Amino acid sequence: MVKFLKLYEKIGIFILIVLAGIFLAIASPNFLKTDTILNIITQGTYGVIVSFGMVLAITSGGFDLSVDALVGLTSVFLSVLIPDIGIPGAIIVSLIISAFVGFLNGVIITKFGVNPLITTLSMATIVRGASLLIADGKQIPISVARFTVIGTGKLLGIPNPIWIMLVLFIIFYLLLYQSSLGRHISAVGSNENAARISGLNVTFVKIMVYVLVSLTASINGVIRTSQAMIGIPSMAPGFTLTVITITILGGTSLAGGRGNLIGAVFAGIFISMIYYGLNLVKVQYFYQLLSVGLVLLFALFVDGLRKRYLEAAKIKGIKV
Amino acid sequence: MDDYRLRQRKQIFGVYWGNFGLPLIFVILVAVFSITNPNFATSYNILNNLSFASYVGIAAIGMTFVIMTGNFDISIGSMLALVAVLGSSFAPKIGGVAGVISTLLISCFLGFINGIFVTKLRIPAFITTLGMLFVFRALAFIYTNNAPVYISDRFWLYLGNGKLFGIVPFPVLLMGICYVIAYLLLRKSPVGRYIIAVGTNSKAAALSGINVDNIKILVFTLLGLFVGISAVVNSANLGSANPGLMGQNYEFQVITAVVLGGTALSGGNGSLGGALVAALIITFLDNGLGLLQVNSYWQQVATGLVMIFAVSLNKLKFYLLGQGEF
Repeated sequence: MVKFLKLYEKIGIFILIVLAGIFLAIASPNFLKTDTILNIITQGTYGVIVSFGMVLAITSGGFDLSVDALVGLTSVFLSVLIPDIGIPGAIIVSLIISAFVGFLNGVIITKFGVNPLITTLSMATIVRGASLLIADGKQIPISVARFTVIGTGKLLGIPNPIWIMLVLFIIFYLLLYQSSLGRHISAVGSNENAARISGLNVTFVKIMVYVLVSLTASINGVIRTSQAMIGIPSMAPGFTLTVITITILGGTSLAGGRGNLIGAVFAGIFISMIYYGLNLVKVQYFYQLLSVGLVLLFALFVDGLRKRYLEAAKIKGIKV
Repeated sequence: MDDYRLRQRKQIFGVYWGNFGLPLIFVILVAVFSITNPNFATSYNILNNLSFASYVGIAAIGMTFVIMTGNFDISIGSMLALVAVLGSSFAPKIGGVAGVISTLLISCFLGFINGIFVTKLRIPAFITTLGMLFVFRALAFIYTNNAPVYISDRFWLYLGNGKLFGIVPFPVLLMGICYVIAYLLLRKSPVGRYIIAVGTNSKAAALSGINVDNIKILVFTLLGLFVGISAVVNSANLGSANPGLMGQNYEFQVITAVVLGGTALSGGNGSLGGALVAALIITFLDNGLGLLQVNSYWQQVATGLVMIFAVSLNKLKFYLLGQGEF
């Protein structure tokens, strides 16, 4: 059983993707076409991009529930700022504002010692309220046509969001596995006290983590807004759940200390395949909510089982 | 010696703050609203507010228990909507009393499932309940096909709108009964001591023979029960059960009430009286700001700020009492 669980940890998500792929190929004649597959991957990138940040947060032993609100905030700022200061300026300002919100999260968590869950949940409420205030509760259309290139354009036949995801993947991969910051994040997540005693600046590491999560959420907001060409303060409701599901299904341990970025990419594609399958049978969107919730509970179930068996094996003296 | 006296003074201040800080805030709040708005201090508005306070107040009892054991439940908003639509759609077929009982049973069962996930699979509570938050809400949507269920059953409506002797609103009475029972459970029964023991140090509790898992499952089930009561009262107040609108931000208000009431998020001892006063503060604040015609988006921002403020304040209290660092 231990062996099986170890194996599942490594290749479980691939098995799920292959099974889902076989099922969809039988169910839909359109599935095995380049366009469809590219489309599914593009849809998957939304969650995957933010889950890169979430992997860091959960690896550091924290959590961020404010990502969906930040998507809305970015969307509103873009639609307000693009007419005034142009596309690059608007994007940079939105990213900086989101990073600042992440900074606030980090400061409240580390300096005031407030639980990350409560902090980010409160921040989500505050940010949602602020977005609605700025937009006055309305949706603001964007009339600068060039802006749509970011989300809908293609380079070498591959949609831009996929390129953005790949670039971010490389950056986060280097950051988590090759840089000192990445090692510090893992150290803080495994044992915060030990990390502090051995001289790490835990406060700095944690604040950086929350800034990075907010940045990924904001990038996601830029892509979505450029596809919708409209600023929506209540954009992406329930998106946090998708991101956390992808992160955990991808093999990042909730206990902290171990992040898995590659798993997150494939988990995102798997979730996207489920959405595609649900669209085939033309059910309403609440079934998407339900399916993601159930997938999350399944992933948690496996995570819990794994922990129990590994603990039991340790007591019996089996090497794991 | 000076250090000792300083610490003593801090402790005395901490004790005073812990006992009287919150009621003081409440009194100031009511005074400010009464002065700024003539419509606030009418007996009609006050009784109505007390009745609304039961919405947060009743579930705050269960949440106090859950937080005392060191857990969280953020699925209660969706749970409220799900059990309300289920129960109110059963009521016409099986009668009002059976409908209410079935609502309570279902909500207990949902809380029980949460408890099983948290204890037997050892998944952190907030993430289990985050998943459940979406599952419950989706089930409520699917069951009703996103259409509100209108309530016509007289018994059900009475629970939310009826008045005892024509004065005391039934929800207020219900809330009072719930608090008395919860107080007896927490302070006068072994179960209450077990809950405190589990929250303070679950390993020590397990070693001294308490079944920690069962206690945790029990508190989640109890929370389910209180959410069920809230669901009946709230849907009766509104006259319908709406799968999408009911219980939005509910978990947030309830957790704020419990934390503002002085229960530490790290578990251990909790304060039921504090939760009640905090629930009153939250409800009166909402109503008062509404009467002053403050933009609802500002109110949303304010609730988030109050939450962070409440947790920081709590930390300060425990620091003053010498029970932790700030």
